[in-house]
Amino acid sequence: MPALPLDEAGKYVAGAYVAFVALLLIYVAIMAARLERINRELGELAEIAEQGDDRPAANPAGADAGAQEDARGEAERQVFERERSSRQEVVP
Amino acid sequence: MSFKAPRILPALTVVTLAAGFILVFYFAPNDADQGFIQKIFYLHVPLAVCALVGFMVAAVQAVLHLRSGDPGWDARSYVSIHISVILGVAVLITGSIWARASWGKWFVWDEPTLVSFLIVFLLYCTYYPLRYAIEDRERQARYASVFAITAGAFVPLNFIAVRLAETLVHPRVFATAEGGLTPKMTLTFLVCLVGMALLWQTLVRFELAAKSTRARLGRLRRALEGDEVAAGGSRIAPVPREAPGAG
Repeated sequence: MPALPLDEAGKYVAGAYVAFVALLLIYVAIMAARLERINRELGELAEIAEQGDDRPAANPAGADAGAQEDARGEAERQVFERERSSRQEVVP
Repeated sequence: MSFKAPRILPALTVVTLAAGFILVFYFAPNDADQGFIQKIFYLHVPLAVCALVGFMVAAVQAVLHLRSGDPGWDARSYVSIHISVILGVAVLITGSIWARASWGKWFVWDEPTLVSFLIVFLLYCTYYPLRYAIEDRERQARYASVFAITAGAFVPLNFIAVRLAETLVHPRVFATAEGGLTPKMTLTFLVCLVGMALLWQTLVRFELAAKSTRARLGRLRRALEGDEVAAGGSRIAPVPREAPGAG
């Protein structure tokens, strides 16, 4: 197998390495898009959690119902906080 | 061990791969036979080795899933296959570029190494439709594991069969009967191989961390909304927060 001259072989070698880097960049871009989606979803969930926090104050029902709402809001907040802290462990 | 995104591993991967590529172009001598074009092999061969080993690792993880029933092993097996398929794409592209330069053709259909790798690659491409054709998560994980084990066993058998084949048109760049690589070439190749293995591990860890995060988001949404349907949740079985073994 005769060796290609450097000027011709160089194009192919560069092409192979550029293709590899391009593939990696595409993968990183896809991962970035996924991270963005996760971020957006987390924002939506934070809104839901905040609404849950506001719910007892907006509830005009009796004291018992209010206390139940308070307890549920607190539980939801705890779940959210727990999940958020575990998420922070995952994402650097 | 939780599926955390790695911190030191990416830096180590970048350093090792960069060192490997510097060695390729400034340290390793040109091949006496192929000349400069042989430098593609420092990229192509480590990619192929990591992809094939990754498929076998996925098979082992699938065995562990079937034995333990732990969905974490299924997630690992899925991600190992996923990353190995991506590396497989790179193997086919770089191999085609080399073939074009050396043989004047993008692909040679009567060469056993090329065709066998293509068969393995296409086999693993069918993993995705098989997996997502099944809606029940548990059954999906079980069938996917059986597939991963069967296909994983096929990989070494395929490799041995090709080695036993008489036609050796595809160049052997490591430990050939003629003596193999020079020490400088061997060192360069090994650095590139380690770099590629680190890259595989880094991508696997990031992918697992992303899947784990999406699964947790799904659980959080269910907890907050009291809804069984988690919009945008992970399509693979939920990943446990704590799971045995390395990812």
